[in-house]
Amino acid sequence: MAYKAQYYPGKTSVAQNRKKMMDPAYKLEKLRSLSDDDVVLMLGHRAPGSAYKTAHPPLTEANEPDDPVRKIVEPIAGAKAGDRIRYNQYTDSMYFAPMVPYLRSWAAATRYRGVDPGTLSGRQIIETRERDLERITKEIMETEMFDPAREGIRGCTVHGHSLRLNENGMMFDMLQRVVLDKSGKVFQVKDQVGDPLDRKVDLGKPMSEAELKKRTTIYRVDGVAFRSDDEVVGWVQRVFTLRTKCGFSPKV
Amino acid sequence: MKKKFAEDPTSQTTKYKYEGYTQSKRKVEFKKAGDAIAKKRGISAYNPMVHMGGIPLGQRQLTPYTVSGTDITVEGDDLHFVNNAAMQQFWDDIRRTVIVGLDTAHQTLEKRLGKAVTPETISNYLAVLNHAMPGAAVVQEHMVETHPLLTDDCYVKVFTGDDDLADSIDKQYVIDINKAFPKDQAAQLKKAIGKSLWQAVHIPTAVVRTCDGGTTSRWSAMQIGMSFIDAYKMCAGEAAVADLAFAAKHAAMVEMGNLLPARRARGPNNPGGLSFGFIADMVQTNRKYPDDPVKSTLEVVASGCMLYDQIWLGSYMSGGVGFTQYATAAYTDDILDDFTYYGYDYIKGKYGVGKAKCNMDVVNDIGTEVTLYGIEQYEKYPTTLEDHFGGSQRATVLSAAAGATTAMATGNANAGLSAWYLAMYLHKEAWGRLGFFGYDLQDQCGATNVFSCRSDEGAIDELRGPNYPNYAMNVGHQGGYAGIAGAPHFARGDAWVASPLIKICFADKNLAFDFTEPRKEFARGAIREFMPAGERSLIIPAK
Repeated sequence: MAYKAQYYPGKTSVAQNRKKMMDPAYKLEKLRSLSDDDVVLMLGHRAPGSAYKTAHPPLTEANEPDDPVRKIVEPIAGAKAGDRIRYNQYTDSMYFAPMVPYLRSWAAATRYRGVDPGTLSGRQIIETRERDLERITKEIMETEMFDPAREGIRGCTVHGHSLRLNENGMMFDMLQRVVLDKSGKVFQVKDQVGDPLDRKVDLGKPMSEAELKKRTTIYRVDGVAFRSDDEVVGWVQRVFTLRTKCGFSPKV
Repeated sequence: MKKKFAEDPTSQTTKYKYEGYTQSKRKVEFKKAGDAIAKKRGISAYNPMVHMGGIPLGQRQLTPYTVSGTDITVEGDDLHFVNNAAMQQFWDDIRRTVIVGLDTAHQTLEKRLGKAVTPETISNYLAVLNHAMPGAAVVQEHMVETHPLLTDDCYVKVFTGDDDLADSIDKQYVIDINKAFPKDQAAQLKKAIGKSLWQAVHIPTAVVRTCDGGTTSRWSAMQIGMSFIDAYKMCAGEAAVADLAFAAKHAAMVEMGNLLPARRARGPNNPGGLSFGFIADMVQTNRKYPDDPVKSTLEVVASGCMLYDQIWLGSYMSGGVGFTQYATAAYTDDILDDFTYYGYDYIKGKYGVGKAKCNMDVVNDIGTEVTLYGIEQYEKYPTTLEDHFGGSQRATVLSAAAGATTAMATGNANAGLSAWYLAMYLHKEAWGRLGFFGYDLQDQCGATNVFSCRSDEGAIDELRGPNYPNYAMNVGHQGGYAGIAGAPHFARGDAWVASPLIKICFADKNLAFDFTEPRKEFARGAIREFMPAGERSLIIPAK
């Protein structure tokens, strides 16, 4: 390449954190350990230990026609096996959660192959082959991309990203999929669509407020104000102006 | 926010009580009603306990809403259009309206038939028409007719820019432009329409509720035709009648909403064909409050959000629980009001209203300042963020404020439209989120189309509408665009936005809905104080 991708403008901590999350060369910091079965339980797509359901036979048996694109693109493991496409979906609190929805999608695009991200405001979803999904979910939930108090794995009834926090610092969840117990740890007690789990999953202690503010990727006036990041604001205005002018006439 | 939430609006925490639906009197009422319905008919009905996981709404606080610009606080459910007679009448009053010119018909009568047309004959014609239009006979024997009490909201008035003619016609049938509008607005309107004479036709609400908006021009033309025959002693069916019918139905007819193409599949006078400029003209706030362009803009936003989001996209184009709260974000709790008045003060101080240069530097400046102000208000007041719990709600409100104030500063609706899209980009980068899926296309591609000349992309905002290609499928936008269409005109003191005819037609106290105060009317509907037209009590068993 003629240039090195910069991923995101700005020198504030928020901008730098966004850059790190998007840059596949940056190794995400591991903050907790989850077993493979923990992840399978929380996702709720299959019972731990059960076989992956398939949407089609393995590609080796598929007799696909000769195609140059198929030769160039290496199928991901789940595609090779014929896995169903399944999803994970997260809600990020606006109170200094480590991740924000668009950043999840950008990171999904730069870090992972074969993933279809969707971005809304109260939730962000990725859909991919089931076994690849489990691998990705484990990485997300074991690392600095996740905080158990300010983020939630929620397949439905996602209301909460913009609500005031509970007095114990937890993001609101109508379906109460997680609980903060007396030990100060958060436990997942229901899967992402709210079905009770056979056993709870230990998500560890939430980050402190200071750590959240250090790691967060949301601008806030009581943290890093968006207004203060001149470079980002300036780039937004530039992109906007250029798109507008080009829409009128590319020569302009 | 203090009326809505018990706590300090700056607090970032609260105690969640998981109380359920019993917090809300209306929802308790719904539950009782659902139980009674199920028992009576033997089929289950409303039951909040079937909500996901058996957990009913109301695990968080269920909060009431104060309709902006009023001191009326209502339950959210009462702002669903199905539960609000005022909202229904707002739309009924529009879809039952057409404007029909009289000049073509009069020329036919005078030149082709040699009949005299005078203020006296016109007044007589209007007396006949006001008998006929609700559904009464004027020419034939042994006709069955509609009951006047079921159609008492139906009438026809005329208007003209010719003061002498207006003074000569029976006053009960005249929309007096001089009385309805402030002096300078009246002068503009009369100059625009000149000596032409127009009929403001409002067919019965009961008819458009049984049929549809496409009925209006046809019903109107039928009764106009018969009334000409009666008033001018014509042969019922002579060739000249065809000229009068064609004029009434087509050549001289101004409908409120255009016919829609097959993929939207609706006839004329349905919301999908109602342009932003037209709805801005239907709202009459700027003649009542000519010195407060922000208020006029906000009333247009409210009207547009209600009609386009709640009724058009939320029902005609989809349905069910609907899209009420995408719309109410723009007309409750004075949040949009605060952001827009802030922006208005900013532009007054820095540029002067309507005096800013129309260039990208100005759009960038005002759009950025108003958007960042709004974002910071949401951040400083967590209850405001909780009130507008959806990103789509916040996106609409931030962009509407930025767009409206930029339009007011520059006197140009497309400059305002441009600022709407800047606000979306800034919002997205600030919080790393925007609205629902559809915002990605509409609001990130929209900037390129603001000044485009290409047929599927460009148009002045006043002439865009719900069927403009990128706008057709997403809630949370059309009402804001309508407000942006109106804003520069209100700020400049223009008497109308897109059509002087529509502006005058709706300047009429006899309409069932008060178009000078839409938000107040919606609030009255919510507290069950609004009496709609077309009630069927007369013809149904008494309870």
